[in-house]
Amino acid sequence: MALTPEMIDLLGAGVGHQVGACTNAGRPSVCRGLAARLERDGRLVVVLSAQSGFEVLAAIRENGRVALNVTLPETYQSMSLLGRDAIVAQGGAEFRPLVEDRYRKFRAQLERHGIAQAYTDAWYLAPDEDLMTIRFTPVAARNQTPGPGAGSPLALQSR
Amino acid sequence: MSAQFEDGLSLFGVRRMMEGVVPPTLCTFSVDHMPNVSYLSVVEYIDPLHIALSYQFFNRSRENVLATRRAALTLDDPYTGAGVVLQIEYLRTETEGPVFEKLRAKLLSVASHVGMDDVFYLRGADVYRVHELRRVPGRKELPAAAPRVDIPTNSRVLSERMANCAELAELLECFLDGLGELLRIDNSMLWLFDSAHSVLTLLASRGYETGGAGAEISAGEGIIGTAVREGVPIRVGHMMNMARYARAAADRADSQGFRPAPRTGIPLPGLKEPRSQLAVPLRARGRVLGALLVESKHDQHFGYDDEDALALLCGQFAVAMSLMQPQEYEPPAREAPSPAPVDSVAPLKLRRYSRDNSVFLDDEYLIRGVAGAILWKLLAEFKRSGRREFSNRELRLAPELRLPEVQDNLEVRLILLQKRLTEQRAAIQLEKAGRGRMRLNVSRPFEMEMADRDAVPR
Repeated sequence: MALTPEMIDLLGAGVGHQVGACTNAGRPSVCRGLAARLERDGRLVVVLSAQSGFEVLAAIRENGRVALNVTLPETYQSMSLLGRDAIVAQGGAEFRPLVEDRYRKFRAQLERHGIAQAYTDAWYLAPDEDLMTIRFTPVAARNQTPGPGAGSPLALQSR
Repeated sequence: MSAQFEDGLSLFGVRRMMEGVVPPTLCTFSVDHMPNVSYLSVVEYIDPLHIALSYQFFNRSRENVLATRRAALTLDDPYTGAGVVLQIEYLRTETEGPVFEKLRAKLLSVASHVGMDDVFYLRGADVYRVHELRRVPGRKELPAAAPRVDIPTNSRVLSERMANCAELAELLECFLDGLGELLRIDNSMLWLFDSAHSVLTLLASRGYETGGAGAEISAGEGIIGTAVREGVPIRVGHMMNMARYARAAADRADSQGFRPAPRTGIPLPGLKEPRSQLAVPLRARGRVLGALLVESKHDQHFGYDDEDALALLCGQFAVAMSLMQPQEYEPPAREAPSPAPVDSVAPLKLRRYSRDNSVFLDDEYLIRGVAGAILWKLLAEFKRSGRREFSNRELRLAPELRLPEVQDNLEVRLILLQKRLTEQRAAIQLEKAGRGRMRLNVSRPFEMEMADRDAVPR
C-alpha cells in the first residue's frame, strides 16, 4: 500500500510531527519528530532527536510498531501513518536539509499566530550527532483531525 | 500521597503547561500494542496525582483507553518551550461534579465561538492517575517570563481600596480602575446577570473605544455566559489557537453528519482578536450575580495566580454589591431649579414597549428591562408634576417596577441607566442628588408614547 498524493503533499506542507510507540510490556511513549518524507521504496523516513525521543526509539526497537502523527497548525488537519516494521538507525545528520526545510514551513505557520521562533527553536535545535531516523512501511493511515471519528481509517492506495 | 516525581517535578508545578501553545498530545495503544497519537482539547489539573482529560467523542483514543487503561501524555510549557511526559492510568469517567463542570465550561466557552456547542460538548471528564512525570531532555529552553506584577500584594492593595468604598458607583470605578493600575489588566468588562430574562447586561468597561453600557448577550453565550451559567472561572490562554481547534472539530462534525441548529454567531465583545481571556463569576450568597471579563492581546496573559486573585476580588465585589442597597430615604436637598426645556426644538420622541420595557429615544434603542421601566416612571412623573428629584426608596416601593423583594439590585440598575444616558449623550440625563436620591435633567421637550405591545424592534 502507498500514500495518496494528498498525504504526500501534507507531509511537506509545514506540519508538526509526533511519534508514538508502545513497548511489549504495554508502556506507551510519544515524542516530537522533526521531519518526515516518503522514500523511493515506499517507506517513510522520520527524523527525530535521540535525546528527547529515547523512550520512543527503545519501544520501536522492541517491536517495530510506530504511529507518526502529522498536523498542520493552521487548520489542525491531522493524520497518522502506522507501521509494524519500523527500524531505528543513526545517520540522521544527512537529513539536516530536510529538517531545516520542514521546520521553516512549520515555523512560518506558527509565526502567523504569534508564536515566536525562539519558542519553537526549543523543539528543533538538536545537534547533528543527536539526529536519528526511523524507517517504516505505512500499513494503515488514520484521520486524526480533532472531532468525531478521530482515529478512523484513511484509505491508502495500491502500489 | 506523594506529589514529587523525577527531577523534583510536581504536577502542581507543571499545571500551566496544561494550557500550552500546542494542544497536549496523547498516545494510547490497542491490545496488540499498536500506538495511536492524537491531540486533546483540555487537560485539567485535579490534585498532585490526578488530572482530567476531556472526553468529547468516542474515537480511537477512547477505544484504546477503555481497553488498555494506559496512556502517555506530553505537555509543552507555554513560556519556555520545555516539555514533560506523563505516564497515566485511566481510572473513571465523571459526568457531574466540579471537575466535570469546569472542563465543560472551558470547552463550551470555545465551542460557542464557532457556534458548535451543540456538537462540541463534553460527554465526560476522564480522570487519570499520574504515575510518572519526567522532563523531555535535549530541549533548548527559554527563560521563564518575569511576573507581570506582584499579584498577591497588589490584589491586597486593591481589596483594601474596595473595602473603603461606601457606594456602589464608587466601588465599581475603584474595581475597574484598580485592575488596570495595580494588576495591569487594561481591558475589562463587568456584566450583570438578569436571571429572569436569561441575559447578561454590560454595566461598565475599561480599555475599549466604546463603553458599551447596556449591551446584552444571552446567558450561556461565550466565555462570559458560560462562566455565569456554570459559576466557575474560565481562562483561555490561546484564544485563536483554541478557536482553530474547535473549528477543525466543527468541520469534522459537519462531514460526519452532525448538524447543529442554525444560530447567529455572537461576535467576541471588546478586543477584535483577543489572545487571552479570563471570565470570573461574581458570586455572593449562593448566587451568581454576573461576571468580570478581562482580556488581552497577548497569549497567556492570565495565569493561575490571576484566576485566584480575581476570584477573590470578584467575590468581594459581589458581596459588597449585594450589601450596598440603596440608602434609606433622606430629606431632599432643596430642589435645584429645573432648566426649562427649549421649546423651539422638535420634541424628543420617547417610545416604550411594554413587553420588555424597551425604551427608544427618537427611534434609537436606549435600554430595556427594569432600567427602562425606571426611566419611564421618572419621566412620567416629571411630565405630570415637574418633579425632578426622586428617592431610591420610592422606586423600590413602586409596584409597577416589580422589583424583587430579596435582591433588587436597584442601585446597579440606576448606575447602568445613568451610564447609558451619558454614553448616548441623551437630552435626558440622570445624576446623583445626595444619598439615596437622584435628579433628572431634561434639556429638550419630549413626548411619551406607549408602542404596540407585541412588536419590539431591535
